[in-house]
Amino acid sequence: MKATTNCQTIEILSLSDKQLRELSTKNVLSLSLAEMKAVQDYFRKLKRNPTDVEIETIAQTWSEHCKHKTLTGIIDYTEEKGTKKTKRTYNNLLKETIFKATMELNKKWCLSVFKDNAGIIEFDAKNGVAFKVETHNHPSALEPYGGSATGIGGVIRDILGVGLGAKPLANTDVFCFGNPHTKDSQVPEGMRHPKTILKGVVSGVRDYGNKMGIPTVNGAVYFDEGYMANPLVYCGTMGIIPKSKINKKVNSGDLILVVGGRTGRDGIHGATFSSIQLDQECDVNAVQIGNPIVEKKVLDTMLKARDLNLYRAVTDCGAGGLSSAIGELGEKTGALVYLDRVPLKYDGLVPWEIWISEAQERMVFAVHPKNKKRIVALFNKENVEAVFVGKFTKDKKLTLKYDSDVVASIDMFFLHYGIPKPIRPAVYKIKEENVQKPIKMNSASLLKVLKDVLADLNVCSKEWIIRQYDHEVQGQTIVKPLQCNSIEGSGPGDAAVIFPYTVAKGTKKGIVLSNGLNPQYGKINTYKMAANAVEESLRNAVAVGANIEKMSVLDNFCWGNPNNPKILGSLVRAANACYDMSKAFNIPFISGKDSLHNEYCIGTKKYSIPPVLLISAMGVIENVVHTVTMPLKNGGNKIFVLGITRNELGGSVLAKIKNVKGGVVPEVYPKESKEIMERIYKAINSGLVQSCHDCSDGGLVVAISEMAFAGDKGVKIDIDVIKTKGELSVAEILFSESNGRFVVEVNPENEFKFKGIFKDCIFAEVGCVTEDKNVVFESVKNKIKVKEKSKNLLNAWRNTITW
Amino acid sequence: MFEIEIFTKEGFKDSRGEHVLSKISEVEIKGITKVDYASVYIIDGDINKTEAKTIASELLSDKITEKFEISSNSDSKKSKSSVIEVLYKKGVTDTVSESVIKAIKDLGITKEVRVKTGHKYYLHGNISKTVLDKIAVKLLANTLVQEYKIK
Repeated sequence: MKATTNCQTIEILSLSDKQLRELSTKNVLSLSLAEMKAVQDYFRKLKRNPTDVEIETIAQTWSEHCKHKTLTGIIDYTEEKGTKKTKRTYNNLLKETIFKATMELNKKWCLSVFKDNAGIIEFDAKNGVAFKVETHNHPSALEPYGGSATGIGGVIRDILGVGLGAKPLANTDVFCFGNPHTKDSQVPEGMRHPKTILKGVVSGVRDYGNKMGIPTVNGAVYFDEGYMANPLVYCGTMGIIPKSKINKKVNSGDLILVVGGRTGRDGIHGATFSSIQLDQECDVNAVQIGNPIVEKKVLDTMLKARDLNLYRAVTDCGAGGLSSAIGELGEKTGALVYLDRVPLKYDGLVPWEIWISEAQERMVFAVHPKNKKRIVALFNKENVEAVFVGKFTKDKKLTLKYDSDVVASIDMFFLHYGIPKPIRPAVYKIKEENVQKPIKMNSASLLKVLKDVLADLNVCSKEWIIRQYDHEVQGQTIVKPLQCNSIEGSGPGDAAVIFPYTVAKGTKKGIVLSNGLNPQYGKINTYKMAANAVEESLRNAVAVGANIEKMSVLDNFCWGNPNNPKILGSLVRAANACYDMSKAFNIPFISGKDSLHNEYCIGTKKYSIPPVLLISAMGVIENVVHTVTMPLKNGGNKIFVLGITRNELGGSVLAKIKNVKGGVVPEVYPKESKEIMERIYKAINSGLVQSCHDCSDGGLVVAISEMAFAGDKGVKIDIDVIKTKGELSVAEILFSESNGRFVVEVNPENEFKFKGIFKDCIFAEVGCVTEDKNVVFESVKNKIKVKEKSKNLLNAWRNTITW
Repeated sequence: MFEIEIFTKEGFKDSRGEHVLSKISEVEIKGITKVDYASVYIIDGDINKTEAKTIASELLSDKITEKFEISSNSDSKKSKSSVIEVLYKKGVTDTVSESVIKAIKDLGITKEVRVKTGHKYYLHGNISKTVLDKIAVKLLANTLVQEYKIK
């Protein structure tokens, strides 16, 4: 080991605990004291101090971003309910909840779960489909455009780096922002206005996704004050991969090939940075800039190389850069890397910077020496830079050289398994939820509230955002995000369906993508928030024709500071809900990601974001002909509400608008819901359903109104026949957000068969479609009649975000 | 060194300029009547004016909807409006410049060039320096990766 001008030895052997802590902070290592001590012990055994390259490599590999140390660490959990306390210790929360459910369900059609860059399920006899959703919150807070662009760029590379590479078919995006209507003067000093952040983030995803030629087909936007300084940016990509290309294998002697973008100082400390809360002053280098043109060339060429069998393994350079990518690929073998061979954007980078830089658009391949010339020739032909930087060894060590000096030599085992497990306390107090005082409203105020709910930021049309994305490119989007019957209409689709006929020639099958999230519920009860998110994502997919038996889900946790036991406790609850729902719905989780430490300072006060669990669902549809959309189709058709309406207004849109105190957050009843979901699939496949819409934010009245104005039709609904649990007021029936409900349009001639399918389920025929374009909700019993032209409701829904 | 600015021709919609004007009105700043937008390419290297002109007309501008202006570093331009110029900071990856350098070679100009890209906003109206700073920081430049100059 030699310290060169470019590489320094870091004194660590003699440091006290206090000095170790200081070193971690000063060098942005984000390592805890216990971790620093483990590093110290390791080098004491070696009887030498580490180099800066070594210590940076360890910090990257052990970062929250790469190792998920909170979710895989030890958690001492205490749950309080009234005066009763229960305790449980988790040795690895992820393995004991989400992952455990997947193992127990043991689906044969799950081809690769929780081990690669994305989860893969079976599509047909020859192909699998891969799905991954990532977060890019911190970079997007600093530089909304660059942060979100590299977010989508990164998740696309996850799909390229799964197995031997999948071909991306569609992107998804979900954002949480502060209120865009906040007055400029109310934005805290040093923070960007939520609207500026929103516009930057949307343009970043737009520019990167559109330029890559991948349609952005599904998403959601959620607004809440809590995300003002810490926006959440989730980006997802789904791709298709031949089953024969799912496994990668690195052999000793394989060469290490770096392909794509050059390495610069971009995004240094991105991985360790994501473990730190946001301050007003941040490291400039943490910002990454995306270049979709380079990535598009990499994509096209590498799929050619894949089909020619020119490499044995591939992974993307994400957080931690080459350090993580090569470290992962060489975990079982060992690796020798010549850092001076890595192509650079400009001179002046020192070895550790080259090693951990998060410069974008780079992929790392393991290539058998016999293919050395062919693979480089192929990439060069397409103007893609491809350079060999070293080889995989058999000494199980990571060795880095720079100008023939060894600048790092660490055991792979220590690097990957030497991290001490943190022990964190967690507590959760289950609060009792009570039904609110009865909500009584007359016809006029019901109509006003309906319009307010439709115009609410979290219900209103996101057309301004959706239309900036290309959701049609590749020509395979069968069910699209905005749906309508006429040129003037518009309505929110429940899920997207992709028909990958250009890749899977002759197929009839499709892939459905949907999502579910509701942070409002999480403010009251994170268990229910998680359960709701799972059910909502499934309901959305089922509404377009998905088969609940062939669905899989992804989890993405965005939480506050896990060092706070209460916050960690709420995370444990949510993870438990995931396990319970996965088992109850018989739906496996196939991949996931977490972003913790979403905390920010205003002045000296620290705030954690309202926690969010995003559930993204992917499923395979047998025949894309059997899919439906949500706009009402024909006058005279009957409208059915499937499922039961309970008095569940806790965290609802109505509660927010009318400032309702108390209320019960919607509960999930998997047995009931699953039964209905299975039968909807049957009904849709028998051609008995004209349109179908899931009932979520804003309740029944919103779902039915959306179907009407999307279809440019009217409806006549009898509120009195809607099936309820107990006695509910009209407002409660209309705005309650109970789970498990769908609104379905059925042609009268199919009524008999349709009712036959739903025999023994709770459902009711509640009215009919009319051609007079009036939306009417009537309760004779309560002397209520809400009547409005569907066009006026459309305008209420459409005019909130029109920039 | 040449600075090439690309403007929208008269009679065509300057959507970037209009967009900035609407953003300015959203943050409740008054007194600005019009914003003209120009994209800026600073080309450094051993090229002559004719070559700079070829680059501007053949590569950087759309002949139908756009016009260009070339100034060398010796020229000092007087403008009736206030100008905010936004450029990337040193060391920040400038992907557009990478493409421009490649395309200049494709044009047959083989000399080594360095390119910086940026944006210029010509603001018309009566505006104080403080307000210009506010507009630059709040709306036009992310000072984490970009720097701005007010002229």
